[in-house]
Amino acid sequence: MIRRGLRRAALFIVALALVAVTWELYVAFGPEDGGEVLGMRILPRASERAMPHTWEMGQRLFDPEVRGQDRPIWLAVTGYAWYTFRMALVGFLLGCTFGIALAVLMSRFRVVERGLLPYVVASQTVPLIALAPQVAALGGNWDLPKWTWVAALGAFLAFFPVSVATLKGLSSTSAASLELMDSYAASWWTTLTKLRFPAAMPYIIPGMKLGATAAVIGVIVSEVSTGVRGVGFASLTYAQKATSDPAQVYTAVFGAALLGLAMFGLVVGFELLVMRNRPAEGSS
Amino acid sequence: MNNSAVVNPVPSDAVVVDGVSMVFNEGQQNQVEALGSIDLVIRPGDFVSLIGPSGCGKSTLLRLIANLLDPTAGSVLVNGKSASQARVEQDYGMAFQQSGLFEWRNVQKNIELPLELKGWSKARRRERSAEMLELVKLSDFAAHMPWQLSGGMQQRVAIARALAAHPPLLLMDEPFGALDEMTREHMQAELLRICAAAETTVVFVTHSIPEAVYLSNRVVVMSPRPGRITEIIDVDLGDDRDEDSREDDEFYARITDVREALRGADRVAGARGIEDR
Amino acid sequence: MFRKIVAAVLPPIVVGALFLGLWELIVKAFDIKPFLLPAPSAIWAELIDRSDDIIDATLNTGTNALVGLLFGVVFGVAMSFVLMRFQVANELITPLAVALNAIPIIVLVPVFNNMFSSTTEVPRRLMVTLIVFFIVMVNVAKGLRQVSPTHLELMRSYAASPTSILVKTRIPNAVPYLFTALKISAPAAVITAFVAEYFGGRQNGLGYSITSNAAASRNAASWAYVIGACTLGLIFYLVSIGLEKTLSPSDGSTQARQQQSGGLTPGGVTT
Repeated sequence: MIRRGLRRAALFIVALALVAVTWELYVAFGPEDGGEVLGMRILPRASERAMPHTWEMGQRLFDPEVRGQDRPIWLAVTGYAWYTFRMALVGFLLGCTFGIALAVLMSRFRVVERGLLPYVVASQTVPLIALAPQVAALGGNWDLPKWTWVAALGAFLAFFPVSVATLKGLSSTSAASLELMDSYAASWWTTLTKLRFPAAMPYIIPGMKLGATAAVIGVIVSEVSTGVRGVGFASLTYAQKATSDPAQVYTAVFGAALLGLAMFGLVVGFELLVMRNRPAEGSS
Repeated sequence: MNNSAVVNPVPSDAVVVDGVSMVFNEGQQNQVEALGSIDLVIRPGDFVSLIGPSGCGKSTLLRLIANLLDPTAGSVLVNGKSASQARVEQDYGMAFQQSGLFEWRNVQKNIELPLELKGWSKARRRERSAEMLELVKLSDFAAHMPWQLSGGMQQRVAIARALAAHPPLLLMDEPFGALDEMTREHMQAELLRICAAAETTVVFVTHSIPEAVYLSNRVVVMSPRPGRITEIIDVDLGDDRDEDSREDDEFYARITDVREALRGADRVAGARGIEDR
Repeated sequence: MFRKIVAAVLPPIVVGALFLGLWELIVKAFDIKPFLLPAPSAIWAELIDRSDDIIDATLNTGTNALVGLLFGVVFGVAMSFVLMRFQVANELITPLAVALNAIPIIVLVPVFNNMFSSTTEVPRRLMVTLIVFFIVMVNVAKGLRQVSPTHLELMRSYAASPTSILVKTRIPNAVPYLFTALKISAPAAVITAFVAEYFGGRQNGLGYSITSNAAASRNAASWAYVIGACTLGLIFYLVSIGLEKTLSPSDGSTQARQQQSGGLTPGGVTT
């Protein structure tokens, strides 16, 4: 078990190293001004400005954000990422709460399901993030701090996948188990808490994973369109300094990666906790 | 009753298993000795059932004959050739507990699969699959998809597929294990009819004593850890068994024999897992 | 039949009408300023008024999404065969894909803008390709690998060559997985192409039009472009469903099997 984990970690590091090596090889041998393949300009510029060396990205983490400061940039980026993480987390938790509540409501009342489900499903296929500027405009008018609106957008995006997955999970309870609860004369609420919810967990958790990443993306994109200074905004402003400081933007990318993994790890941790006594996938 | 497993093999024998043993994960911590030294000769036209408690290696023995596994020691001859040669030349057909039909092919196309792999022309395949559909009485379902059929019908398609290339030998691994009792008895009668029509030798793995006795002219009783043949019981229900044969005194007598043999094997190994029905 | 259709269609229409009516009513009753929340009627008027511009912007964003989607599917399918064939590649790349999936890689758009030229559509299309690529690769590789053991044993009993096992067993088994990947990646492609516009680059698509109109307090116009974005997402999704319905043999069992085994979706590996 431990050996397998070590092996996987080692392979992951090897994979990352291979990516870095590919990058360096391209920087070394790729065309300076980009290039064409089959008449399409799809080869990136291998110039220092566009593709800095991997070690420069690493070094850049320990230099200050702006010349003259003492604080290394990794601290600044971690700060941005932490800010974004908190907004995404608030949004995610809100989205989960409302998503699960709506799913319970839909599973309880068929009319609600019939009326709302098509919209909930359609919402997964349309770029809801298009509403970011609208919501920001709305929020700007009321005297609420900007971050609440960014978090609200995260919640909005997390809400739909969680609610669809929960509804699917709640309606996937086996008929035999439902009959068993009926034979105990269990109430609707007891059946929900003792049977439907536990049985729906294998559906809810993947929905939460979708919701967690959706919340992160929602918050980052909203930052960009509202100017809240989190890691998404940082990546945009750093990128604009590419001419003088090409490696800087990559520190923001690392920060965003860290944030995404932390958020995902949170849900995986929850999964391990909830699913600890269940058969692993494929072992049944 | 006949305790001697090897009866002087001759080249025309359908299957000759000679001193075969099988060890999984040899030399590792989880080493399992699945089969001890097995000797078994199956004559052309035989219907031989392998029966025994879970873990006695009956499925392993079947897979060794099919060359899906290679024995740790000993040799397997099928139709006078090595098992691997026989597999390459398609001297046998095989059916499993799961029908294993391709869900993206209709019934007819499923039956034609082994013929396709042999490179038969389309016209020839059509002709043969129609013939096989006739044999398993599913001609009306040629264009159906597998999931549209009942479990028993799916298993009949699987048998038709196994026999499509007219192999002289049919290997079956608990093919009726997932069916209900009524369907199962019906399928047993069908199988006897189909195999008699095609003059096929059959090796049949089962958990069920009545199934083994009803179908076979020889029942091979096995015991576990390591898998060994404890007894081979001849059954003489005649060549024209039908539903009435299930009421025959010979039927009950042989069921008792097999049960006693299994109990003997059970006492030796302390294992369970036989359906007594 | 007729009653069934009515039962399915009527509730959402009623809900939609109620929602729009209530929205209109609230805006009118409380005299909400249009730069805050425009009334549905005002949005509709803008939609008609700017229909040419909106269609242009939708086509621009839609082309980016489509080009990225096509490249992503082609490369993803090609790579899935590599993952199937070489266990090492699978062990190296699949965890990377899972990790990337949890990361908001959309922040790479400004990086791509530097690597290419922000006056072309390449950075956006590349972003879409990247996202689609991983979804398709992981799902199709799963379909190629997770073949029923009975099928494999059967093919071995036929002494089938590796090529015929691939052609007759693995590829047909992977087809439903490809369509699932397509259903996930089609809307994801639209969303990505759209969001990529927020990070700079050419100013010709839906994302740019929505932000610029919102910034100029032309809120109703901005909402009209939102409708364009939603329509585009729906079209991509419906076309991917239509492709699945027409091209793959209707079959309940594969889908059930596949749902159990799950796949990579934009947001994590479902179980």
